[in-house]
Amino acid sequence: MRAAIVAVLPRLRRFCQAMAGNGPDGDDLMQATVERALTRSSQFEPGTRLDSWMFRIAQNLHIDGTRAVRRRGTAVDVEALHGLAGSDGRQLAESRSDLAAAQRALQALPDDQRAVFALVVIEGRSYRETADALDVPIGTVMSRLARARGRIAETLADRQDTDRETGR
Amino acid sequence: MTQSREERLAAWLDGELTASERAAFEAEIAADPELAALAEEWRANDSLIAGAFAPLAEAPIDPALLHTLGLAEPAAPLAANDNPVWWKRHVLPLGGLIAASLVAVLVVSPRNGDGARDPLSQALERTPSLAQAKLPDGRSITPMLTARAADGRWCREFGDGREVALACRDGKGAWIVEASGKGSEPAGDAGFAVAAGADDTVLDAAQARLKLADPVDATAEQALIAGKWSGKE
Repeated sequence: MRAAIVAVLPRLRRFCQAMAGNGPDGDDLMQATVERALTRSSQFEPGTRLDSWMFRIAQNLHIDGTRAVRRRGTAVDVEALHGLAGSDGRQLAESRSDLAAAQRALQALPDDQRAVFALVVIEGRSYRETADALDVPIGTVMSRLARARGRIAETLADRQDTDRETGR
Repeated sequence: MTQSREERLAAWLDGELTASERAAFEAEIAADPELAALAEEWRANDSLIAGAFAPLAEAPIDPALLHTLGLAEPAAPLAANDNPVWWKRHVLPLGGLIAASLVAVLVVSPRNGDGARDPLSQALERTPSLAQAKLPDGRSITPMLTARAADGRWCREFGDGREVALACRDGKGAWIVEASGKGSEPAGDAGFAVAAGADDTVLDAAQARLKLADPVDATAEQALIAGKWSGKE
């Protein structure tokens, strides 16, 4: 089990970073996911995919955590974070990178759409695998993907407009 | 089919349409420049995002993070070793919760009711792997794993910062050191590096002689400690 978890970690980390919006929060989410998986390893059904099971744990933990933050009223919106990132030279460089643009586009999505998009487009999962991992009907996967892509197109189009205005 | 045009476009991009659906949709795209442009935009966005995230899964997982998660292999040998001893190949059988609670240090007093037993035995009796126990003589020992010998005795490998040793428990609760070799413990780190060297062969020989089984996991180890090592596994 442990060796299998270690083998899944690189992909789990990528998924967690996509869900959480940045590296440090992603790694925190990955750590919480691994701890949950280890304490609940008896709930894993042999014969099913370990990575899918862990993706689901990660998604649920992320959504629970986001709700907790909202309840406390300390949620920081993505635009504000983006502005803050500009105060540091290294982060400024990163914010111009494709990864930062990709992260901003993903963070503009609701959690459920982001999870589906991350599994299908970033992790390359089929609709069936994604539906199983997230425990939703396959039609839901399809509709969330369509809405996610529509929203991403708006976000990235805004970015290109901004880039043009600032002469980049 | 009650799917919207966008849903069919998404499924087309993801290769999730059947052959006939695909043919129909491609005819639709060919006849609709706006749809074709949207398809191209979505495809470009997908590849931007997938491409940006692709390297994240290539990066190695930081060993310190594996330690934090309780998934670490023991630290790499300090010197080249073509023939790693078996405990280096094993993932340390520890849960993240235990590994994260390393601050707990068991202090073994010279007398605490277990007077018949020596402090080392008391420490090995009660200290979970990767936690530390301070002995009255000033040494700190860190058990690293627990495994059962073929003769039924429980054995534990532990280090004291200078040496790595293997001790097995007799029926009365005394832990007898079976072998020890040179080791090295990085200061201030939960990690435990085993120095490769001639002394490893001593431990190897002891493990071969005792025919140790695979190390038990953290839960089983906790149960053994709680049950004063009387469990039958």
